[in-house]
Amino acid sequence: MMNIRCFQNNFSAASFPLVPVQLPSRMETHLWYVLPNEVKSMSLLSQYSELLSPCEKEDINCIRGDDLRKRALLARALVRTTIARYQINNQVNPSSLKFRKNAHGKPEVEWQDDDNLCPVPLHFNLSHTSSMIACGVTMNVAIGIDIEEKQRQLKNNVLAFSRRYFSPYEVKILTAISDPEIQHQEFIKLWTLKEAYVKALGRGFSGLPFKTFTIRSKPATTGSFNLSEDFVSKASEIIVESSDDPENLTNEWQFALLELAGSHYAAICMEKDKTVGGEANTPMKLTVWKTIPFIEDECVSGTDAVVAIGGLIKQ
Amino acid sequence: MASVTGAASMGMTCLSFKPSKVPIHGVSKLKSVSFSISGKSLPSLRMQPGSSRFRVSCAAKAETVEKVCEIVRKQLALPEDSAVTGESKFASLGADSLDTVEIVMGLEEEFGISVEEESAQSITTVQDAADLIEKLIEKKGA
Repeated sequence: MMNIRCFQNNFSAASFPLVPVQLPSRMETHLWYVLPNEVKSMSLLSQYSELLSPCEKEDINCIRGDDLRKRALLARALVRTTIARYQINNQVNPSSLKFRKNAHGKPEVEWQDDDNLCPVPLHFNLSHTSSMIACGVTMNVAIGIDIEEKQRQLKNNVLAFSRRYFSPYEVKILTAISDPEIQHQEFIKLWTLKEAYVKALGRGFSGLPFKTFTIRSKPATTGSFNLSEDFVSKASEIIVESSDDPENLTNEWQFALLELAGSHYAAICMEKDKTVGGEANTPMKLTVWKTIPFIEDECVSGTDAVVAIGGLIKQ
Repeated sequence: MASVTGAASMGMTCLSFKPSKVPIHGVSKLKSVSFSISGKSLPSLRMQPGSSRFRVSCAAKAETVEKVCEIVRKQLALPEDSAVTGESKFASLGADSLDTVEIVMGLEEEFGISVEEESAQSITTVQDAADLIEKLIEKKGA
């Protein structure tokens, strides 16, 4: 994978188009993230606003507070520019993309296609904190992502919160951790995994109460699959079980847990592609870019910026 | 029937009428009705608890809304003077899903209620939260 590093501080966005990228393959996730602190130029921000639809602009104007508004703006700019990079149907203009919500309320692209061809099976999901905005992209399969700052503090007590919202098994695991810092870290990791799952399903927190399923680690099954050297993660799989039916492992979803940019936990939940046959648990292929749209793209997979901490991942 | 009395200081520019979602149990007249008041500038009302003169007997009492605002401000670490009103959308205030869940948990503790996750879906503004709280309190008392 080629590392693309270009600093174009003096050029306007128009003179530096988005670097096109190939669509992710089956069982592959692309993850793009932007750090708001790195975007300071007012002219760049106004260029991003020009990408937005009138509705999006209005929503952002309703937000009070410069930081929150900037965050919302960057989120829309990230989604639009990311999808535009894939040049689907030769469509390269991020401002021409239209979005809608599916039956469950999950945002998706509304492809404008004169020939009435089948809709393009590109899936995306967005997540943000005050210091990072991330967008995950897959082809053919559903995706959900969630990011949280590692240091994010809860106003409530971790165990009280977990008892209220998490499954009994998860509460047991967290309760057994005596070091409060580690307990806090594991809580955040678990939260991101659970959020990523409900977002992948497109149902959100209300559609699938967190108590009704358990996410946990399972040592990876050894099969005919060859664990090659470019495995960065510990070979433990992350699985989800329904509380009602714990014996029946839902084998449809694949998870990855990462530490991003040293500051965030990121969870990715990707639907397994049923057309890729075989019982072996294929690792999730993952490529990660840090970006300032129109200015700089840096492929950070395999660097310190992306540390795999759970799930079967291949960078 | 709902009535609005002593509302001299409220600048109501429009009232929208939402029929209550509470089932009516075979009673011929409406047991409760919820209004949402969407005025551009709704001053925050200071209600004396127990004072009947300025009671607004529609959706949520202003003191409920005020308590919700307080919990939201605390959760999101917003300054005291920041504009948080019934109309405020959680998302626009910068609340992410974890914040929203923490806010709901804070509301449960404050009001002694239990909010089903499915109901939480319909909460997008402070007013929504206050309405739901009052509905749950009423159900509890019934």
